[in-house]
Amino acid sequence: MTAEIIVNENNCTGCLICQLWCSFFHKQKFSPSEAYIQITNQYGLNPKISYLDGCTKCGQCAQHCLYDALRITMTEGK
Amino acid sequence: MDWKGYTGRILNVDLTNEKISISKENIEDIKQYIGGFGMNCKLAADLLKPNIDPLSSQNTIIIGTGPLVGTITPGASRTVAITKFPATGAIANSCGSMSFGFHLKQAGYDHVIISGKAENPVYLTILNQKVEILDAKTLWGRDIVETTDYLWDKFDSCGVIAIGQAGENLVKSAMALIDKTSTFGRGGLGAIIGSKNLKAIAVKGNLGVPIANLKEFKRLYNNLLKRIRYYPQRDSWIKLGMLRSLPVGMLLGAKGQKKKARQCSERVYLKKLKRRRIACPSCPMADKDVLEIREGAYTGLISYNSSVINPFLMLTLDGLNTYNEAIKAFDMINRYGLDSLTITAFFQFISKMYEEGVFSEQNTEMQWKNDFNTLINLIEMIAYRKGFGNELADGWRKLAENYEDIDKKMLTVKGLDVVFEPRFLRLGTMEFEQIVNPKGAHVASGGSPTYVGAGGSMEKFKNHFNRMGIPESAIDRIFKPPKKQMGINVGRLTRYSEDWYTILTSLGLCARAQMNRFWSLKSVTAFYNAITGLNLSLEDLRKAAERSWNLLKIMNIKEGFSRKDDKFPNEWFKPLKFGENEFKFQDFFGGINITHEIANQLLDDYYDERGWDKQKGHPSQARLEELGLNKYF
Repeated sequence: MTAEIIVNENNCTGCLICQLWCSFFHKQKFSPSEAYIQITNQYGLNPKISYLDGCTKCGQCAQHCLYDALRITMTEGK
Repeated sequence: MDWKGYTGRILNVDLTNEKISISKENIEDIKQYIGGFGMNCKLAADLLKPNIDPLSSQNTIIIGTGPLVGTITPGASRTVAITKFPATGAIANSCGSMSFGFHLKQAGYDHVIISGKAENPVYLTILNQKVEILDAKTLWGRDIVETTDYLWDKFDSCGVIAIGQAGENLVKSAMALIDKTSTFGRGGLGAIIGSKNLKAIAVKGNLGVPIANLKEFKRLYNNLLKRIRYYPQRDSWIKLGMLRSLPVGMLLGAKGQKKKARQCSERVYLKKLKRRRIACPSCPMADKDVLEIREGAYTGLISYNSSVINPFLMLTLDGLNTYNEAIKAFDMINRYGLDSLTITAFFQFISKMYEEGVFSEQNTEMQWKNDFNTLINLIEMIAYRKGFGNELADGWRKLAENYEDIDKKMLTVKGLDVVFEPRFLRLGTMEFEQIVNPKGAHVASGGSPTYVGAGGSMEKFKNHFNRMGIPESAIDRIFKPPKKQMGINVGRLTRYSEDWYTILTSLGLCARAQMNRFWSLKSVTAFYNAITGLNLSLEDLRKAAERSWNLLKIMNIKEGFSRKDDKFPNEWFKPLKFGENEFKFQDFFGGINITHEIANQLLDDYYDERGWDKQKGHPSQARLEELGLNKYF
């Protein structure tokens, strides 16, 4: 079983909780720019969610998303 | 000093001399005033000379954030400004949300102080250490949405404070907007920014915010988030936002306007208007609205709102009939940087003065009809100071000077129009605070105590008072109102409501009921200590709040304000006709009619609870000594 993060940009509110938690969990400070997940066009009509190189898909961002923009699913294989 | 939570740095921008400097914060000041609202008061008391012209280069704008802002602490994204406001002449604070304060912290600053006046239109960019005053020739004359979009294109997802044409034209009720969504500066902050030839401020940073105790913070955060995540009402708050707490359609239904009530129903909002729900950074209770008109007039219009209830409330105007009209009018107000509450109040007042024969086309130099086109015309005339709009742009006080005895008919306090009407909502702390708030009839600091507990038992009220950190001895006094049937004394309670608000806004926390309900003095102090490592006590925070509010009061006494200005509007003592119904000025539970005598007693009780002189409304020397404020008064 492996974890997969399902992204639904339509549900993103631009709250940056995912970025804040990622940087806190991995870098021990609140620094969205250092997070492995990035939100662009935060308050535009179509926000974008992307993952940077180095992201281990630990799923912390999805566990802390409160708006169902990020969800973890477990898949068979590998 | 190894700051945690705080950056310890203040950015000073002198527009006259195009000089940018950084000053350091002092740990003793921090312990006395905490940050945000409190530190802003301290900085304002040191920087603002009494009796200056608010729209002159002598005025200074102090913008601050709190020590919790920039972290993931739920709802920690407040931006606070203190300055001298042109609508009332008071030195007061304004609070906004969205991302400006968050980005300011990430860029390495707790406060930014803007002084002087630029020679030509400029905008300010703050990108960590790179701070620049740039030419705004091409932005001047553009509206807030265009200006913010321009800056967002240039610096993706930056925090933006911008003004529109109303601010440029020094309309005394002009506001700024943060991220084209959050209103910022009722009472004329937009005009002050405009008077400095400053069009906008854009901020973005990537320095990060370190905290003191990671393990303790993680424990506190996870516990709090569990409560928020499983709060039974959370889903409906996210779905409806503020429409959940103020169903405008029901209001109109009560007025007998069923057709209009259907225009602002939940169904219309969800099926026909809601485009995107957006949140302030770190907020788990997102309530900001991006609306899109999808059919009928103005199809395709996208409108950013701090809540859909703001345009919906415009439908309470008799001249408006459809949500399309309400959203169009509200969007124009936002773009120009006007205040929808003041515009609505002007529109109602002028209509009434026409009915009473006080105004005619001779005064207003315009054809007056109670309809949408007249409202749109009025908005443009005020924003651009055209004709009668020029007179209204100078505010209620000027209008009162121009027409004999007209002030008695106005629903204003200290020159600012009333937000919450107690004849309809009854006299809770939010209605009462409009009388004693140094700014004038403003609603912010009285929030929550008589609303979260509305309809509840006295025991429920008491739990709520404990949550806010109200001392046990004061709770006994709060339960002793002028008439027993009133249940609670809103005069005495307002003092503690203001202090609780001051704590939240000094820390940088949202004071809206849906977030406020999760906090207590104990929990905010625990978060504060985990973040800053300063280990302050509950009493330290409580005292800092009292100190800050008293300092704000002192500044306004020096401006000439006293008890004579804390005046209930005459109209409140007359019945209010609403549709076929008539409402009277009553206490919070609706059992007692509020007379002049009771109103004055509540004022006396408020001053007494604050330790202020009842005749003058000034802080007593003893209280000032206790708070260490003697040097200011």
